[in-house]
Parts: sequence; structure tokens; C-alpha cells
Amino acid sequence: MKDSVKTTIVLNVLIVVFLALATGFLLKAWGQPAPLQQIPLVDPEFIKTATVRVSYSELVAAKEDLSDFDCYGCHEKGKPPVLRFDDKHMLIIPEEHKDIVMGHGRNNRNNLCTNCHDENNLERFQTRDGRELTFSESPELCGSCHGPTFRDWNAGAHGRTSGYWNRDMGPIVRKDCVSCHNPHSPKFPGRQPAPPPHILHPPTNPAPVAEGEH
Amino acid sequence: MTTAIRNYCVFLGRCGRIAFVGDWRYYSWMGLLTVFCLLGLNAYCRQFAHGLVVTGMSDQVSWGVYIANFTFLVGVAAAAVMMVIPVYIYDNEELHDLVIFGELLAVAAIFMCLAFVTVDLGRPDRFWHLIPGIGQLNFPASMLSWDVIVLNGYLLLNVHICGYLLYSRYQGKKPAKWFYIPFVFIAIIWAVSIHTVTAFLYVGLGGRPFWNQAIIGPRFLASAFTAGPALIILALQVIRHVTKYHITDKALLTLRSIVQVAMIINVFLLLCEVFTEFYAGGLHITSSKYLYLGLHGYHKLVPWIWTAITFNLTAMVLLVLPVSRSLKWLNLTCVLCITGIWIEKGMGLVIPGFIPTPLGQIVEYFPTLNETLVCFGIWAFGLLCYTIFLRMAVPILQGDLSKANEREALAGTVAH
Amino acid sequence: MSDQRISGESNPPPEPEGMSRRSFLRNSAVFASGLAAVAAGLSPLLDIENFPSLQEFMQKYYKEMTPEEMKKVLERIEREVERQYGIRPHVRDLKPLDGVEYVYCLNLTRCIGCRKCVHACVAENNQSRNPEIQYIRVLQMQNGSFDMEKAVHDYNPEKVPEKGHFYMPVQCQQCKNPPCVKVCPVHATWQEPDGITVIDYNWCIGCRYCEAACPYWARRFNFTQPEIPADRLNPEMDYLSNRPRSKGVMEKCHFCLQRTRAGRYPACLEVCPTGTRKFGNVLDPNSEVSYILKNKRVFIQLKEELGTSPRFFYYFDV
Repeated sequence: MKDSVKTTIVLNVLIVVFLALATGFLLKAWGQPAPLQQIPLVDPEFIKTATVRVSYSELVAAKEDLSDFDCYGCHEKGKPPVLRFDDKHMLIIPEEHKDIVMGHGRNNRNNLCTNCHDENNLERFQTRDGRELTFSESPELCGSCHGPTFRDWNAGAHGRTSGYWNRDMGPIVRKDCVSCHNPHSPKFPGRQPAPPPHILHPPTNPAPVAEGEH
Repeated sequence: MTTAIRNYCVFLGRCGRIAFVGDWRYYSWMGLLTVFCLLGLNAYCRQFAHGLVVTGMSDQVSWGVYIANFTFLVGVAAAAVMMVIPVYIYDNEELHDLVIFGELLAVAAIFMCLAFVTVDLGRPDRFWHLIPGIGQLNFPASMLSWDVIVLNGYLLLNVHICGYLLYSRYQGKKPAKWFYIPFVFIAIIWAVSIHTVTAFLYVGLGGRPFWNQAIIGPRFLASAFTAGPALIILALQVIRHVTKYHITDKALLTLRSIVQVAMIINVFLLLCEVFTEFYAGGLHITSSKYLYLGLHGYHKLVPWIWTAITFNLTAMVLLVLPVSRSLKWLNLTCVLCITGIWIEKGMGLVIPGFIPTPLGQIVEYFPTLNETLVCFGIWAFGLLCYTIFLRMAVPILQGDLSKANEREALAGTVAH
Repeated sequence: MSDQRISGESNPPPEPEGMSRRSFLRNSAVFASGLAAVAAGLSPLLDIENFPSLQEFMQKYYKEMTPEEMKKVLERIEREVERQYGIRPHVRDLKPLDGVEYVYCLNLTRCIGCRKCVHACVAENNQSRNPEIQYIRVLQMQNGSFDMEKAVHDYNPEKVPEKGHFYMPVQCQQCKNPPCVKVCPVHATWQEPDGITVIDYNWCIGCRYCEAACPYWARRFNFTQPEIPADRLNPEMDYLSNRPRSKGVMEKCHFCLQRTRAGRYPACLEVCPTGTRKFGNVLDPNSEVSYILKNKRVFIQLKEELGTSPRFFYYFDV
């Protein structure tokens, strides 16, 4: 075949190829980016800043209903409540207070209501060293045993804070112990974690990896 | 003055026109390259519109095949100087004209490097922020700022040297030594610096123990001076085949001895690296474990690196044996060198630095179709540039394109 | 010399009058089809949304802007956000407070790994939901070891904390000697006098060198246009912090400077249910963080041996 014929063929093929390419480009025939995986929006519960409980001081400040704390609405003044124990020396929670679960301290060593509550004056707490505290002063009660934690809480290193770190620009908001801790069962229960992170290009068939790793 | 400018424009015009003239093999080759360039251009436009999500990169592996190719090609560009040293320092006249072919390859390689870096940027429209004086170039703290300066400087150096030598040959004049020899010597030092600066990009990162090692710099240079001259050996044989330019076997064998020594050093440095990592062990070798052995069930790179090591070792053995003096074996050896080192610098260097992440997460990387098309497009563009450069340079060096036959050419009696 | 041949060409001698009409037409056809392919190849550019305006393209470097120029830029950003999300935000440029150096203390005894801090940060700082960008990454570590290789990122049990593990949230450590600032080729990221390392999102070129340099994997890149649901947009914004970013730029934790420079706590701290996080001015001897640094004894600065000198102190109680 003469070279000039070969050249003609090559150039004609090029024309066809270029036009095919142009068509392919306009029709978006390949290379379109894969659609992103659907990531559900996080449940707004996970970004709420409210504490799990509300302390007595907060209720007072918000002028809320305090009837839950009116012990002598049911109890008789001058008649200390009687504590009952089962044969394993475990406290029997009375029916009226069945929402209380006792779990303060390991090995049930803090299994006695009167360790904190004054049986002669139910509207007060009593500390180990004989002080009487109001409901609003509950952190002092906790601190009478939990000294280091109380010291940290006073300095701002324990517990939740919000508001302003710069006191010149606004107030700091400190939470009491009982805003987070249930005084009868203070250890935090486990909670459901927010969803784990997603990677940008999830593999179509994930590699089998050992349990619990990456 | 105006005559000089007019003459230069005529020269450029003839050079430009000759790029479009050739036989059917030339048109097939250029057509094929143009097709890949177009595919790459289209793929890049898609990336420009949608963002880098069209690639396989992620926050965990944030550099991929673009930077891998960039790293490899900076090495190729630096290796052009390996031909310059024998000619100008050791007065090897055999290689004299071939220096131009090597430096033209360096220019094409630098074009490809700049293209690869540009397509990797998230906001390429903000490239002007890099220009010192107008933008805020963070020199000397950022190694990337050094890279910007040295790569563009190297480009200008080579364009000047080649352009001046070719234009002098076109005019039939002897080139003035003071106008190019000093630049040649600067280019020799500059070539080493471009690849060292690129190595320092990686070495300077303390948070990535896979890269924060002194051996990376020497390893870069050794592998560059292996792959670069190997590419030049292949390119020279192509020139020999398609043009009437006479290239002696002696020139090819001189280059072979450069590749030989560089590959031996490269393999030795690999041995040093592997021993240092694996003998003492420790928490900082997780990336090396991932690369060579796989980690926690992730092993995508293991076949790649072992293929690269096999290629490099085979090439080294072939280079040491006299059998590679025969061109058939030499060509195979060159292909093994280039492929082995490309894999080593790409998959073997860039990707393992990101796996696992500094927080211990493993997310593997694989380039997407779009990314691959952009890479092919840039490689095709580089080869296109180099072919055009040779298409202009060879006739000039052979005297076919010269000022002497300018008048006939402009009168149309000669086809160009 | 009269028998000149172009090297490599073995065509018959050229016609005296140049190209024939047929070959001219054929060559033009090749050229035209090539140009058509180029034009068609560029067609994906028509898909571009949010093409930067000329003002945005020419915008000066943050540190070189006069207050009047900055005011115009802030107004432009407010207009752009309103156009995109339908909400007019309030974008400010808060300056660092005097005599302040921020420090973050994190109590590893208390973290339960609930990831509320991660999502509070996302909500406060207008991060992309899809693709997902989260500045904070909580690691589930094994008791007894700080080996990151054993850390689990995607833990998702019924309840946290799980036995045998402790949880460590990692975000930008605002290092005193930041590697990211050193490597940025255009000074798009720098450390402010109050210790926060910030990013000028309109100056970043998206090279991702800082992401490679960070030893804490703290920096994130916008691989595509970020997606923020309009009903979850936080309209209280700042130029250097939580205004919506574009594709192709970096972002990271900035200690909520839109809150902290106004004297408030960062969002991650306020939402933490166990009071794990402590933040404040280390130059103030009465702050919580000064108390912690003075009284607690076990401190971990992550990857201390790298010399980054992070401003993030992990500690265990008592």
C-alpha cells in the first residue's frame, strides 16, 4: 500500500475517532462520579446540652413545682421512718419510693438512707461530722465523703460547665452534683453512642477484617 | 533588532508548521496521543466541576496517583542531567548532540510535573497565590514553595539551553559559549536540587515516620538516575528508528553503565531501608508492614511492591551481566527498570505514608477511572510535547531545517 | 540540497503549488473534528455550581486587608450564604483577646465515648454532612496502652463505655510548633496570638500538604461542595471559623473561635455529658485549666516526641 494511501486512511480514522469522542463526551458516556452514600442526619438528641436530671437549686431558681421535695406531705413530723431489711441485710425500698434504686457505693456499703438523710428532719441532710444541710446545699453533703472530687468541682475541674469562660464577659453556669448524678445510684449508666464516622469511598465489598478492628 | 525578532518568528513558524507534517506513522502516533489528551481533558473538567471527590483520594489517603506521577517525573527530569555531566565535565563527544534530546525530555517531564501538581490542587484558580510578590509564597519554610521555584527555574534553564543551541544550529552559527555553558553547569546542580527538594517534601514531615527518614533523599536520586537514563535509552532508539539521525551504540552503552551503577545503589538503599525498619521493629514501622506484608487483613499494595522489587532485582542482575549489552536485552531491562521504579515511587512511597493514618485508621486507596484518564491524558500530553520537540530538533540538527533553505521554504518549493 | 526530504517522510515530492484541495479539505476536517472533540470535552464545565465571583478570585490575603475591605468581604459572604441557604447569617471577624492563650484539658477518666462532642461540633461549625466532615475523632483505646494501631474508630456497641477500654477524642491540638503552618506554601494557615491555628478559606489552594503534615490527622479537606441542611445552619459565623466553606479548601477545629473569642465555651465542651472537657485561658492563674495543670499529675501530650508542643492536655483524675 502506498504511504499516501496509508496517511489518508489514518487521517480519516482520526476524523471518525474525534467525532466519536465528541459524542461520547456530550452523552456523558463514562466516568460520571459515583453518587455519594446516603448518610442519615444525626438524631438531634445527641446535640442537646441539657443535663439528664434537674437539681433542687435549679428548680428553685426556675420557680418550678417543688412538691416532690415536700417530705412531710406524707411523713409524720416527729416520727422517724423505720428502715426494713431482708435476711441478706439489703434495704427493702418501700412501695412509695419504689422509683429509687439503691446503688451508692460498692458492695452495698452505703445501703442506709440515714447515711445522708436526717431521719429526725427529713427536709435536711446530715453529714458524717454532724452538719445539717438544706437540699440546695447538697454538693457539701457529697463533698463530705468525696473530698478530692469536691475540691476539683469547686475549682471547676469536675463536672459540667457552660456559659462564659471569661467571667468579665458573662456568667459561668456550674451544675450541681445531682444535675448529673442520681444521688442514690450515682454511677452513670451506659448510653447509646452517636453513630460512628463514615469514610468518603466505602468499599463495594468490604475486606473481611478481625472483629472489633478498624 | 526588528530583523532579529522577525527572523526568530520565522524560525518559530517553521518549527510550528513542521509539527503537523509527517508520514502515516507520525499521524497515527500523534492521533493516538491526542485522543488520550482529550480523554484526560474531559476527565479533568469533570473533576474541576465536581471536586476531587471524583478521585479515589480521601482525608485518610489525601495524596494519590497524581502526586505519585509527579514524584516519578521530577526524577526523570533531573536525570537528563546525567547525560550533561559526561559531555561537559568528561568531554564525551559521543553524547554531545544527545544532550539536547535529554534536555528536551526534561522540559517535557517538567511540563508533566506542573500539570500533575495543578490537577491535584483543590483550587487551581488560586494558583496566583503562589507567585512571590503578588501572592504569599511561604519561602523558605515550606518545601512546596521551594519546589515551585526550583521546578520553574529548571524549566527556564532547559528551555534556554535547548532553545539557544537549536536556534544557533538553525542559523548555522556557532553558539557563544558564555551564553550557554554557565547555564549548563547551573543546570547540573539544579537538577540534583529539584529532586532533593521533592524528596524533602516527604522527609520533612515528622508525623509520618514512614517518610521521616534520611534515606529517602538518596533513594530518590538513585532511582531517578536509574529510570531517567533508561527512558532516554528507549527514546534514542525510537529516534534512531524513525529518523535518519545517527546514534551510535556506544552512546547507548554509556547510558547503560549509568543505569547499571544507579540501580545497584538503589537496590542497596532498599536493603538498608528494609533492615532498618524490620530488624528493630516498633510501632513506627506499621506503614512498612502494610506495604510489604499487609496489615490487619489489608494487603492491596503487597503484590505491587513485590512485583516492583522483582523487576528491580531482575534488572540489576541483567545490567551487571554482559547479556544486557545486546539491545534486545537492554530494552527489556530498561522497561523493567522504569516500571519497577514507577511502582516503587508511586505505590511504594506515596500511598504507604498514609496507611495507617496518624491515628491508626486503615483506609485503602485505589484510583478511579476519572483519575486514571487524567493521568493518561497528562502522560500523553508530555509525550506529545516531546514528540513535537524532536520533530523540530532532529531536522535542525541534521541541517534539513535551517536558515539556508528558509527562502525556498517560504516560497513553497519545499513542503515545509 | 534541492532534494530536501523531511526526515522520516517517504512521500512523493510535494506539488509545486503546495497542498492539493483534497488534502486541504481533509486536513481541515481533521482539525475541525479535533476542535469539536475539544469543545465537547470541555462540556463538564457547564456543571459547575458556585463559580467564584471576580471579587472572590481577587480577594486579598486576610492579614493584608484593611478593616473596610474586610467589612465588604463579610457583607459579600453574608449575601452568598443567604443566596445559597435562604438564611441571612451574621458574619463577624473577631480578633484575639489580649492576654489570652487557650489550652484544652481532657479528662480521660471521664470520657465515655458517646460522640456527642463530634456532632455538637458539626452542628455549631456548619460542617458538611455529606460527604461527612467531623473535626473530632473519638478513639476507643485498649486499657493499658496508647498504641493507636489498636484504636478502634468505628465502635458502635449498644452502650458505652465498654469494659476494658478508655475513650480518647482527638481534634486539632493547636500546637505551639505547628507542622501544618510550616508547610503551607501560601501562608493560608497560621497561628494567631491566642494560640488558635486558623485557616483563611479564601486563600487556601487545596494542595493538602498540611493534611499530610499533621501528626494528629486533624485537618479535613472539602472533596466536593459541602452539604449543610438549611434548617441546621448555624447563622452566628466568623470569617476564620464556621462560615460555610467551598469545595477544594481545608478546614479543621478552631476552638470555636466565634464563641471563645466572645468569652464562651466551645460547643464540644458544653455538650459533653460527663464534664470531660475543660477549656480556658492558661495565662489566667484562676482558670480551671490552670488548676488542672497545677494539680493533676498524669499528663499526656499526644506524640510529644515530635516536638509539636500541643495545647491539648490529656490527663487521668487523681
